Amino acid sequence: MTSAPTPLLAIRGLRAAYGKIEALKGVDVEINAGEIVALIGANGAGKSTLMMTIFGKPRARAGRILYDGRDITGVPTHEIAHLRIAQSPEGRRIFPRMSVAENLQMGADSTGCTDAEREAMLQRVFTLFPRLKERYAQRGGTLSGGEQQMLAIGRALMSRPRLLLLDEPSLGLAPLIARQIFDAIRTLNRQDGLTVLIVEQNANHALKLAHRGYVMVNGLITLAGTGSELLQRPEIRAAYLEGGRHG
Amino acid sequence: MTAPSTNTAKPATGIPALLKTAFTNALVALVLFSLMVGIRTEAGSSGQLTYWTRFGELASLVGVVFGGSIVIELFRQWIGPSGAERLVPPAVHSGMAFVGRFLAPALLIFALLVPVIFYDQRYILDLGILVLTYVMLGWGLNVVVGLAGLLDLGYVAFYAVGAYSYGLIATNFGWSFWVCLPLAGILAACWGVLLGFPVLRLRGDYLAIVTLAFGEIIRLVIINWQELTGGPNGVPGIPRPTLFGIPLDNSDDGLAAKLGIEYSSTHRIVFLFYLILALALLTNWVTIRLRRLPIGRAWEALREDEVACRALGINTTTTKLTAFATGAMFGGFAGAFFATRQGFISPESFTFQESALVLAIVVLGGMGSQLGVALAALTMIGGFELFRGLETYRMLVFGMAMVLIMIWRPRGLIGHRAPTVYLTKAQAISSDLVKEGHG
Repeated sequence: MTSAPTPLLAIRGLRAAYGKIEALKGVDVEINAGEIVALIGANGAGKSTLMMTIFGKPRARAGRILYDGRDITGVPTHEIAHLRIAQSPEGRRIFPRMSVAENLQMGADSTGCTDAEREAMLQRVFTLFPRLKERYAQRGGTLSGGEQQMLAIGRALMSRPRLLLLDEPSLGLAPLIARQIFDAIRTLNRQDGLTVLIVEQNANHALKLAHRGYVMVNGLITLAGTGSELLQRPEIRAAYLEGGRHG
Repeated sequence: MTAPSTNTAKPATGIPALLKTAFTNALVALVLFSLMVGIRTEAGSSGQLTYWTRFGELASLVGVVFGGSIVIELFRQWIGPSGAERLVPPAVHSGMAFVGRFLAPALLIFALLVPVIFYDQRYILDLGILVLTYVMLGWGLNVVVGLAGLLDLGYVAFYAVGAYSYGLIATNFGWSFWVCLPLAGILAACWGVLLGFPVLRLRGDYLAIVTLAFGEIIRLVIINWQELTGGPNGVPGIPRPTLFGIPLDNSDDGLAAKLGIEYSSTHRIVFLFYLILALALLTNWVTIRLRRLPIGRAWEALREDEVACRALGINTTTTKLTAFATGAMFGGFAGAFFATRQGFISPESFTFQESALVLAIVVLGGMGSQLGVALAALTMIGGFELFRGLETYRMLVFGMAMVLIMIWRPRGLIGHRAPTVYLTKAQAISSDLVKEGHG
């Protein structure tokens, strides 16, 4: 873990709402370059909202989002993706009628990288997820759930991000496949120095993977600490792990 | 494909089962029709209710249902349980693939030769021009509906804008067709953007309603803005197109006189045929090129998932507006062609029916497929003419044919889409692995 002087992503006092319902009530999160940070919490805690607010939809009502020292709170959504922040949204959201190749190409299209850079990243994605190479000419919709998740992450990687936001990558996946996904994230972090913010229901897996973690309850961060610290906390164990252990 | 389909097909074998099904259907028909057909009521001369029975008609109807259900059931057994794999033998499959590969070039060559083969048949040439106009409109709308997935029920508005642009500019300022053609396209594209702005946040049904209204608004404005458009009287005397300044008429500086050949009115028809063919091919070429560029892929991705698009850094606003503008531009070109072909335009040519027809062509062809749209235009417009002899029953037969096609091919004539990104090395590997059906 490298400790940079300024964090890669700093969220300060962030508030966001859907109409009158306040989903984020003043959230503070810091992510240093080279870290994996896990954000855990129950359904409706505001985890996904935080992820989407970083991308400008919904817009923040108050607070600031600083990326690499720059305030990106008001930047339009499509421009945020050009700042080398990539997102693998909840529910995978691949393009089902387009081929795997086209899905991956979509990730690279908006970044304006050279052909060589694109090819290198494609090979990197194939090394991480050999399945995608096998399925290259197939339609995205014909892939299995796990393969679709790999494709969603691969597509996000094609924009060669510095910061990768992953929303529930293990959702609805068999434990073995989920582990493959987590392994790939760990590899990306260690070998490529990719900074990752991962939102997860699967607290056990996520906290084992992450350097640090945040616990979110009702739109507020209630706990923060290193992954192993949080795993030991009795209230975490009670709320998120008891009865749900499979590790 | 799945187990239940074989289960449902099983009990219906054997003559007793066949008769039982037919009898049940006939019974239902008897109950339904006994009041609807069996008894006829009418108001008598002094307002009293008179009625009489028509058991003969009733009996024949029930008989038709009985016989018909036997025929349908036999037909079903002859086809076998649903599942396309068993239906089509591999030889036919490879034959279809062969036809598929050469169908587009063959159609193109045929289209090029139509004026040569049917030079003396004015009717065929006119029909060809009509079909090609709809092919072009279909390809234009395909950008909006097929690729970008924006359901547009008011496409005729852009057709009208193009036609009136050319009609009004040519009659008022005397500009030539070749100057007006791009202008008509640009004006239509502007209207496309104008329509696009208010509907940026809409999708699906809501978008369809607004575009429908837009099409009607354009038509009503044309009808009511009499000083500019001539209202319901239309714009008469629109100049015919020229071959880069050389008119195709019987004058001394006409094309026939210049070439020293005898003048024939067919020259103009042939010229119009090649003109619309060139315009349609331009539409096709541009669409195919755009599909391989980031903007074309963004259109298709937008159709699939707007949220994912935004997360990938696609500006959905400009993507939608360019789709509307591109589609509208081709509509405008087609409109300008329509105006110069007819020599007269009026609001009657731009009703909702036209929008619906073009949309039907796109849907029937298979959303997003260029060849499919061309085939569908040929089927629809050609079908209209083919069934002309049936007179009153024309629409009925045509409608039934449409329903049958949609049952047979629910995704349109050509349902698959050609990929736009290839990896030559992996292509062979992947097709082998697909068959294993892993995952």
